[in-house]
Amino acid sequence: MRQNCVLALAATTVICFAGNLARCGEKDDPAPLLNNDPWKNSSRSPLQAGEIDRLVASELSKRKITPAALTSDEQFIRRVMLDLTGKLPLPADVTEFSADKDKDKRTKLIDRLLASDDYAKHWSQYWRDVFAAKVTDMRGRAISVHFEAWLHDQFEKNKPWDEMSREMLTANGQLPVRLGRGETEVDAKNGAAYFLLSYQGQDAINDRTAETSRIFLGIQIQCAQCHDHPFDGWKREQFHELAGFFARLADRPVFEMVNERRQIVGVALQSRPFGEHMMPGKDDPAKGTVKMPKFLDGKSVRGRSNDNERRKSLADYVASKNNYWFSAAFVNRMWGEMMGQAFRQPIDDLGPGKEVTMPDVLARVSAAFASSNFDIKQLLLAICTSDAYQRQIRPGESAGDHLQFAGMAPTRLRSESLWQSLVTVLGSMGPPAPMGGNPFGRRFSVEGQFKDEFNFDPSLPPDEIESSIPQALMLMNNPTIQQRLRAQGSNLLARVLTAYPKDDEALQMVYLRTLSRKPTDREKEKALKYIQNTSKRSEAFEDVLWALLNSTEFQTRR
Amino acid sequence: MKSFATEQVRTSASGIVSRRTFVQSVASGAAAAGVLGWKDAMTLHAAELRKQGMSCILLFMNGAPSQFETFDPKPGTKNGGPTTAISTAVSGIELAAGWDNVARQMKDIALIRSMTNKEGAHPRAVYQLHTGYLPSGAIKHPAFGSIVGKELGQADFELPYFVSVGGRFNNTAGSGFLGMKYAPFVVNDANRLPSNAALPGDVAKDRFARRMELMKDLEEDFAQSGARKAVEDHQSIYRGAANLVTSPNLKAFDLGQEKDSVRDRYGRSPFGQGCLLARRLVEQGVTFIEVEHGNWDTHQDNFERTKTLSAPADKGFAALVADLKERGLLEKTLIIWMGEFGRTPRINGQNGRDHYPRVFSVALAGGGIKGGQVIGASSADGSDVKSRPVTVPDLFCTFCQSLKINPRKENIGPLERPIKIVDGGAPVKELFS
Repeated sequence: MRQNCVLALAATTVICFAGNLARCGEKDDPAPLLNNDPWKNSSRSPLQAGEIDRLVASELSKRKITPAALTSDEQFIRRVMLDLTGKLPLPADVTEFSADKDKDKRTKLIDRLLASDDYAKHWSQYWRDVFAAKVTDMRGRAISVHFEAWLHDQFEKNKPWDEMSREMLTANGQLPVRLGRGETEVDAKNGAAYFLLSYQGQDAINDRTAETSRIFLGIQIQCAQCHDHPFDGWKREQFHELAGFFARLADRPVFEMVNERRQIVGVALQSRPFGEHMMPGKDDPAKGTVKMPKFLDGKSVRGRSNDNERRKSLADYVASKNNYWFSAAFVNRMWGEMMGQAFRQPIDDLGPGKEVTMPDVLARVSAAFASSNFDIKQLLLAICTSDAYQRQIRPGESAGDHLQFAGMAPTRLRSESLWQSLVTVLGSMGPPAPMGGNPFGRRFSVEGQFKDEFNFDPSLPPDEIESSIPQALMLMNNPTIQQRLRAQGSNLLARVLTAYPKDDEALQMVYLRTLSRKPTDREKEKALKYIQNTSKRSEAFEDVLWALLNSTEFQTRR
Repeated sequence: MKSFATEQVRTSASGIVSRRTFVQSVASGAAAAGVLGWKDAMTLHAAELRKQGMSCILLFMNGAPSQFETFDPKPGTKNGGPTTAISTAVSGIELAAGWDNVARQMKDIALIRSMTNKEGAHPRAVYQLHTGYLPSGAIKHPAFGSIVGKELGQADFELPYFVSVGGRFNNTAGSGFLGMKYAPFVVNDANRLPSNAALPGDVAKDRFARRMELMKDLEEDFAQSGARKAVEDHQSIYRGAANLVTSPNLKAFDLGQEKDSVRDRYGRSPFGQGCLLARRLVEQGVTFIEVEHGNWDTHQDNFERTKTLSAPADKGFAALVADLKERGLLEKTLIIWMGEFGRTPRINGQNGRDHYPRVFSVALAGGGIKGGQVIGASSADGSDVKSRPVTVPDLFCTFCQSLKINPRKENIGPLERPIKIVDGGAPVKELFS
């Protein structure tokens, strides 16, 4: 495998050139250090009002960047609702919010959204996708319903991130799954077991190790599974020592007689009383070396400890207030999700030794997050109330430029939010996708097809998220969606056209409903001209609604 | 500095899309000095390959067919069960009864009876036989169809590079890290146009064109406000979708254009019609078509169920080979018939056969494959490979050789990690004359 890494040479040279890291790839090189200087120097006190803005402002003045203007109320309510709850505001929400004279109305809106059920729903779907993104196993995918339900409870109760992480890493027990016909009951209580159960079989230990490091710490060590990491400096040993924490964890299918046939009805985690993780031999995989559990910073666990003790101590190392990577991985991810750009992209590749934008700001916000006992809502409140979050979108000089948080980067809506937006505009689209354990059932509803088609890995950098032709076809032509778009029956457009006989008023309503804003003068002129040139009013408005629902803006948080 | 001038090919979804991230990850200073040769010779080479017009049809037998009841019968033995053998157009090669059409076409078909693998779980093996790799949490490998689309597909092609027919339940491998451009375009039912490809009844082509124009017009302000890149990307995808919707080539998906006698020749089964659709798409320049047929997971009642499954498979496969040959397309089209593993020599208590990756059969035709031969053999009782074992990487290298793709070419996976099209293995040279 080693010779596969053609980047090794190039990277080594550059890193030497940069001069701040030891040359990697040689046997006697020291492994990268897990500490972080900005973190060491950061205050652990809670974030003060306006502190994020002062920190970002001083960075911007150093770079001589003038930030973008703040959003209008119209722009703000759409952004913050989509970000915190995955929902599009209704026209009434937009007009009321804009008319509200209260000086604190933005903060009050944020508070209200954070307390809503949609908040828990939105973030449970987001985190389900984060953890499920790389799962290929059919059963592993089917059990994500339990995870989502568990996450929903956690976000509803604002469970601290360290507690959630701990529960995932130390989970036991089983989750129901059925791949054939029939539904399973959703088990919200033990849903945390999803993380470890989503990977099954003898290779699962490698996936569990890689994903623990990637998601909880923002450290990508998985390449070191097969070879020393070519430019991050991770040693094979380190990957397999980390895997040692999972050495005594196994999984098994749960069988039961269903319709007189022995069938798999669940998957269970099972501790083994003995056994150690073997690092496969480089020349002969069968000739391995035993690797005892050791955390990335070299901390180990006492010898002969059992499975639960091992995973508990792993959770202690990972979800520690003193662990920069744990706190920063979460903050970087949330910041990126809210701002459209993170301190470090990809958001799950934080370091060590990676180039981070404004590392002091990341360290300070992470330190405050840790000392708040990993209070997620408090973190989101701090981000959403900052000027940095409330700025208008701004073009970069070229695609993918980092805007240094001087303006908002527009990003694609996730599939759940886009579907929700579509339903908000057009109304219900028929029976919902089945929730149960049968992943195929989804394919038979428009909702399921839509969400599958538009789904993407939330850890991807925004400018690497691609759209596809089948996605476009779905919005362009799908018969169910097209049916709801027509100006007939009780559809939205029929109602709007009856209620607003004047074209400009009807147009404004269609804009408010779809894009949560009034049309610009130019758009109004263009659209009205189109409407006048089309013989049938209803047909003209169908075309306008089609154009807006298919537009980039409808699919973008801005 | 020499080390920068690497000869390796680094491409991802749309050519060299991740150049930016690559430069970032290497480092600021030196890399930015422009020493990295992005447009290397391979880009030109790829254009040459595309001109050759090779394509590939994968007939995927989902659920794993029994080799004993298909292409490696063992009549008169305990493990062979009640299955009898028939002779073929090539003397010395026998197939299981029920494969009469394929038997007649045997001069164009080569069999590998010594496939061997270790993976005996459906989802993992389906993934492996589609990607050449075992599933791993860190990397979503692209299906071979996506790789072929990327290597051989022509730029600005109106139809998708990779079409998957009837594969509703086979959803374990897509385009992986190669990106959406190479994702399989799914056709659930060969007898109908692909989902959402047809314009709604009340939207004629001119109205559709007006809608597209209006959308473009109304997007301008948003583009100017700071979303230029997003709007441009979006419009480029929509142009592609609109091209497909209004393309005369879309007719390739319409089997109604074929004579009844041709449709009958392939068999009126979903699989048979899928094979016919595959031929029509190859004619239009689609580089990879997968037609799925199954479920072959015959733990119970293996012999009856395999018979039922074999009839349409036999008819469709044989008609496809014959028809492509008559049209002079067989030499440029590799046809692969395979499942994810084989089935046990031992017949279980329910008259079924269970999962068996240790030895199974694959059939190949076209694409430079020399037909009328058998590669390798299973042991007399069918429990092991007797000679010339062929592994999954060997098989994938063979596909590459047929399609003139370099199996050692590296695509860029997550975190700029280079991943070979096939890791290890060697082509089965005997298959090529």
